[in-house]
Amino acid sequence: MEKEEAILEVAGISKRFGGILALNRISLCLEKGCIVSMIGPNGAGKTTFVNAVTGIRPPDRGEINFQGEAISGLPAHCIASKGISRTFQLEELFGSLTVLENAMVGCHTRSHCGIFRCGFRLGAFRSEEKRMSEEAMEVLSILGLNQKACDSISTLSLGERKLVGVARALCMRPKLLLLDEPVGGLAAHEIRKFVTLIEGLAKDGLSIFIIEHNMGFVMSISEKVIVLNQGAKIAEGPPAEVKRNKVVIKAYIGEEVP
Amino acid sequence: MSIQERYRRPLAFAKLIAAVIILPILLPDKYVVTMMFFVAIYGVLSISLGLLVGYAGLFSLAQPTWFGLGAYIAGVLAARGIVPGSLGIVIAAVFVALVSYLLGLGVLRLKGHYLACATICVLIIGEIAFIQLSDITGGHSGLLDVPRLSLLGFAFKTDIHYYFLAWALCIACLCFFSNILCSRVGRAVKSSRDSDLASSAMGINIAKYRIQVFVLTSVASSLAGSILCFYLRFASPSIFSFSLLVQLILMIVVGGGGTLGGYLLGSFLIVWLGELLSVGLGKFLPVMTGEVQSIFFGLLIILFVIFLPDGLSRLPGKWFFLVKKVVGYLSITGKGLRLGQNGKGRSDS
Amino acid sequence: MTTFSLFTQYMISGITAGSIYAMVGICWSIVFLLSQVLNFMTGEFVMLGGMMTWVFVEAGLRLPVAAGLAVCCSVVLAIILDQLVIRPVKYPSEIIYMVVTIAAASVVKGVFLLSFGSQTHTIEQFIPSMPFHIAGASVTPQVLCIIGALALIGGGLFLFVSRTFFGKALKASASNANGARLIGVNIHMFMLFGFGLAGAIGAIAGVVITPVTFTGYSVGLMTGIKGLVAAMVGGWSILGTVIAGLIIGQLEGLSAGFISPGWKDAFTLSVMVVFLIGRTMSFPALKPVRKER
Repeated sequence: MEKEEAILEVAGISKRFGGILALNRISLCLEKGCIVSMIGPNGAGKTTFVNAVTGIRPPDRGEINFQGEAISGLPAHCIASKGISRTFQLEELFGSLTVLENAMVGCHTRSHCGIFRCGFRLGAFRSEEKRMSEEAMEVLSILGLNQKACDSISTLSLGERKLVGVARALCMRPKLLLLDEPVGGLAAHEIRKFVTLIEGLAKDGLSIFIIEHNMGFVMSISEKVIVLNQGAKIAEGPPAEVKRNKVVIKAYIGEEVP
Repeated sequence: MSIQERYRRPLAFAKLIAAVIILPILLPDKYVVTMMFFVAIYGVLSISLGLLVGYAGLFSLAQPTWFGLGAYIAGVLAARGIVPGSLGIVIAAVFVALVSYLLGLGVLRLKGHYLACATICVLIIGEIAFIQLSDITGGHSGLLDVPRLSLLGFAFKTDIHYYFLAWALCIACLCFFSNILCSRVGRAVKSSRDSDLASSAMGINIAKYRIQVFVLTSVASSLAGSILCFYLRFASPSIFSFSLLVQLILMIVVGGGGTLGGYLLGSFLIVWLGELLSVGLGKFLPVMTGEVQSIFFGLLIILFVIFLPDGLSRLPGKWFFLVKKVVGYLSITGKGLRLGQNGKGRSDS
Repeated sequence: MTTFSLFTQYMISGITAGSIYAMVGICWSIVFLLSQVLNFMTGEFVMLGGMMTWVFVEAGLRLPVAAGLAVCCSVVLAIILDQLVIRPVKYPSEIIYMVVTIAAASVVKGVFLLSFGSQTHTIEQFIPSMPFHIAGASVTPQVLCIIGALALIGGGLFLFVSRTFFGKALKASASNANGARLIGVNIHMFMLFGFGLAGAIGAIAGVVITPVTFTGYSVGLMTGIKGLVAAMVGGWSILGTVIAGLIIGQLEGLSAGFISPGWKDAFTLSVMVVFLIGRTMSFPALKPVRKER
């Protein structure tokens, strides 16, 4: 499927941490409705890249445009409310909230009651809470978590925790979803379910960007793969091409393969 | 959500309101009513501190300052006859809202113990200001001649009037903050404490909610302070001091358990404990001021932190009422032993 | 007195106070770096130093003996604090430690109030001689003792940390506790040592300042808080703390003279809070020492 329109355009971003150049003039383009993956050895800068795009650690240099709008330098919550949501490598779930409440946090940007309306229970408060609760339940159902909605997240398995992170991100109804190592540590059947989920989401028009180490997963699901090594982009293209790319192989294995 | 869960909170509030109304009927003793007045007033403070520290993760220790500002501003304006009491309370609350907003913009940028230290500095600066501005505040001798409060034509004369006023404020605050915690704002606040990274990533403007909670809790403390001042018809810098902070910390450590009701329970226990200490040990010890009481409070804090870090509020609900009844009974037998120390004076009526 | 000599007088009282805050700040820094504890008892160590010296002097002991004993009492209290209060805490965090040491400080303060009342006391100067004059300002010899104490303590610590093996191991465990554990360093002993050292330094500060200002049950809080602010502004390093402490002392001396003695503490603390806030706004004047975990 050819999609011309770019949803995210990154131009020459760099990020330095002390003496280390974590991102070295990275430029790339994500098309709407596509599934793009980023791979690279440990320490390549993949999570740093996501952190730069989402505004958690803004880049020192370079520009980031989301749907034509410049977003680099904006605070993280502003960027998120424009339609970019993400999951975290270490899930970063909210321990004091139940599974449903974790998901409902995702609905925050699509609701408006301020502190006074909440405190006094005025106006649209009740209807808004009901709507958010129903939407969150719907997302949890799609992910198979509705039985666990009122459970504390400390009772969940790793796979379930990752899914709660995804549910939370999906409740934002984002235009672009950034997944940071979503299948790390999952069993094969869980990964298969995840693949179905991602493909379904992409069909609905969601643009998805995945950081992963699991090559089988990456190669099977991505339309485009970007490879990072030591902060620089070393390859970009369809999975089959990248797999054969000598530079990529060298980066991973450390030597040329004849 | 099941029926049981949906009505859990309103039921708890109903029980509390019923207890508050029934108490003065069951135990019409002035002593008990006065003590429970203080429970309500300090309850507002401990709920505020608990909300800040326990839920929002903001170690803002300047509650006594807002408490004092509420008392002094309303008190001074009324004592000088500039405005009637009710307006004075509102002016004090608005002033405190403004000051805490401006302060919060700066101070809430600090993390963890830096925030704690900065707010302790605010506490100390506040105490110094109350003493130094003695032309206005009366300095060490305190603010005198505060007239009776009259709200909307109703004159608050007896202890019972103030008791209901204080509990109205306390229950209103409890309700308001509890509503917030069970809403999207509450989820935003709790989530920002669990993981501010993920919270921002979900579009939550953490700084905004932090400052809102900061300002609202300081306004609540200010209102409590104003009511206290009109009750005592007096204010003094020693009421709003570091010892009060130690007392508040003990309340949230003892009550604890991460629920707002727990913090109110903490207030109940510690107000009565303080009185018990004054009565019980006042005969043996030459001086029983707030600072001497702090010896016991300090030891209790240490014991609780080490042995009972989750506080007492995990006790089932019926214990709460049982304890209330027992204390009430004890007070009847202890009638006449009450003291007028630690700012717990009596209004003349 | 001319304005210049007035100014010098304030500067000197500023250096005096500043040296104390520097020493107190060092106590905070040592304990924080080694144990991640915000020890609110630090102020009470200072109070103990002064008060216990007075108690022992009243009991008939000679001044040096009394002072030495007072410092020992403080060290013992510090050790008790570490073993009975800090160590058993179940969910350690900076805030919990802060709460617990505030509580302990209240206990100590209250006990002293009960035992010795609320009056202030003083002890005689270390070097009994008349004040001399510098640039028109009058300086008591005690001031020299105070500055000397700071110099000895600061210099001694510096040499200790950079020249001796134990000192280097201490510095290492301060910057990376896990790493130090891995190479066989006994962290708990170091933490205990840190507490004891803080107790000693705090008490020494309390002893040397008492002939100049007075001592009483309530001196702990203000002195302690200013020392804490010095340590925070100084980024928890020894040199930074000393500089920050001296600055705080100067601010206090000058504001006491030119603004008002009653407001000096409020002014000084306000400036420090403003500085702490300003530091979060992307141009740190003094880089804080980051502790690795």
